[in-house]
Amino acid sequence: MHAIERVLNALEGKPTDRVPTFCAMVEDRTFNEVLGKPLISQETLLKNPVSRFFLDRWGTRLTKLVFQPEVNRALEKRIRAQVELGFDAVWAFLDETFVVLDSKTMARFTGSIFNLQPDGFGNMTYMYRGPGIKSREDFESWPYWPDADDVAHSSYKFFKRMVKKYGDRSCIIGEASAYGIQETILWALGFEKMPIWIRREKDLIKRFIERNEELCLKTNMALIDAGVRVIIQCDDFSFKSGPIMNPKLIDELFGPSYKRIIKAVHDRGAKYVLHSCGDNTLLFDTFISWGVDGLHAYEMTSNVDIFKEKKIHGDKVTIIGGVGVDYLLTDRSKDEEVVEEVRKLIKELGPGGRFIISPVHSLSSIPAHKLKVMVDAAKRYGSYPISIS
Amino acid sequence: MKESILAVRKAIDELDIDGISKLVSRCLEEGLSPEEVIQEGVSKGLEIVGGKFEAGEYFLADLIMAGEVVKEAMPILKEKMNPGESNSRGKVILATVAGDIHEIGKNIVGMILSANGYEVIDLGVDVPAEKIMDTAKTTGARFIGLSALLTTMVGSIKEVVESSKAAGLRNKLRIVIGGACTSKDLCKEMGADAYGETAIDALRIFNGFTAST
Repeated sequence: MHAIERVLNALEGKPTDRVPTFCAMVEDRTFNEVLGKPLISQETLLKNPVSRFFLDRWGTRLTKLVFQPEVNRALEKRIRAQVELGFDAVWAFLDETFVVLDSKTMARFTGSIFNLQPDGFGNMTYMYRGPGIKSREDFESWPYWPDADDVAHSSYKFFKRMVKKYGDRSCIIGEASAYGIQETILWALGFEKMPIWIRREKDLIKRFIERNEELCLKTNMALIDAGVRVIIQCDDFSFKSGPIMNPKLIDELFGPSYKRIIKAVHDRGAKYVLHSCGDNTLLFDTFISWGVDGLHAYEMTSNVDIFKEKKIHGDKVTIIGGVGVDYLLTDRSKDEEVVEEVRKLIKELGPGGRFIISPVHSLSSIPAHKLKVMVDAAKRYGSYPISIS
Repeated sequence: MKESILAVRKAIDELDIDGISKLVSRCLEEGLSPEEVIQEGVSKGLEIVGGKFEAGEYFLADLIMAGEVVKEAMPILKEKMNPGESNSRGKVILATVAGDIHEIGKNIVGMILSANGYEVIDLGVDVPAEKIMDTAKTTGARFIGLSALLTTMVGSIKEVVESSKAAGLRNKLRIVIGGACTSKDLCKEMGADAYGETAIDALRIFNGFTAST
């Protein structure tokens, strides 16, 4: 069975020859280990005084000319590394909705500010710093709102190329420049203030949701036109202690948009996977009611019981995940521990199908070798019918 | 219990950010002392919210909203308190550990502690152990709350613990940890005093420390 058929069948609840493998997005350390390190590290490149001088003065102008092509090359490396590691499905991500403000700061087009900083392995990464929109005036005058048609157009071009280069070897699960609707708003307005915005600025929240929905719809359609068969979107609806907001409010605010987006994806014959961090236990029914085909939303360290979820929802949605990134997929674990966990997951979650084994999350520190051990073990023990004693 | 103070309690319980100021002012107009309003209205209201959070009836956003409601009430009450009088339950230093810049959880804890009468000294994110110890020395704070999300940065917790030993403060300080990558086991491994899974947990832990000192 070809990798694409294996993944699509698993998402449709049809039989597969073995449990498919999916790679949560790999970061720089991982792909450098697979493909080889660059001669000059990103950290050296971006932290030297000359680069800082230019970025501090003309960061916004240099974003499209210099920074974006470099980021796109790195994004392609992520895909290539996942394919070379032998995953059936790879998380392909394009990020073109940011602008570098200076050597330490970038802004997302959708209203949030991020730090540019080293990842501890010689590469640069970005981390959320805070909201870019602190008042209604900020919202109205935010200078970087993306043009959804432009973003969709460049997403189409990137993914057309990626599907041509890698689409015959792995199932490309694509996401382009549009983060989840709720998460985008949360970043832009700040978590501490978002409840107040929702209560006091209902019309603005509605406009913000509509704006994000348009971006998601147009980019997703562009990806499908480019040949992507599965769409993924990240929207972290929960923290470690449970849903950020009341599940009813989440459904009321964001459900209609997600239902429209997923319907549009299905109408074009593609599948939809939602990624959400945290303890989503109280939200699984909601996600399923929106029409998702698969969920990458089972953080065991946040008290999600993936085995219980298999029993409760395993016939309604494809469970994606299982392999922990807090210990197993780190330098601290032993190979045999990873193999043992893969065996256990396949034994418990494989029967009945609708299970794709994958790291529970991406993390900058995942060693490529541990991912390889995971994939190889899944291929070795994951054939149907499952026969692990 | 006067009806007006019960109304303050109810407003916090119902997260009524637009109505709280008026209700607090009414209490003061009726001759109630600010301390009484804080004790019987604000604190009790927060207790109800905390209980609902733990029962799964309220969520993080509701906890934050409750903190914001209290933020509206406190300036009105503080203005009427006698100069020099303090209702502080103690000073708490909060920080996201060195190498990590995630602060949403820390900010929620700060909001809940402030709303419950603690004096919060928020050092922000990516805070080195030395800065935390310097702050403990200069402010006299005896409680420290450390937040960490990144698995790769848990070593920074240990650095704070070790640094408190080097400063000769370990026995005087209570170090509490929380955040996505933390756990009871990690707390033990790092030599911290307690692990809080939620902001309400953190409040309970600090209340416990306050009661025992």
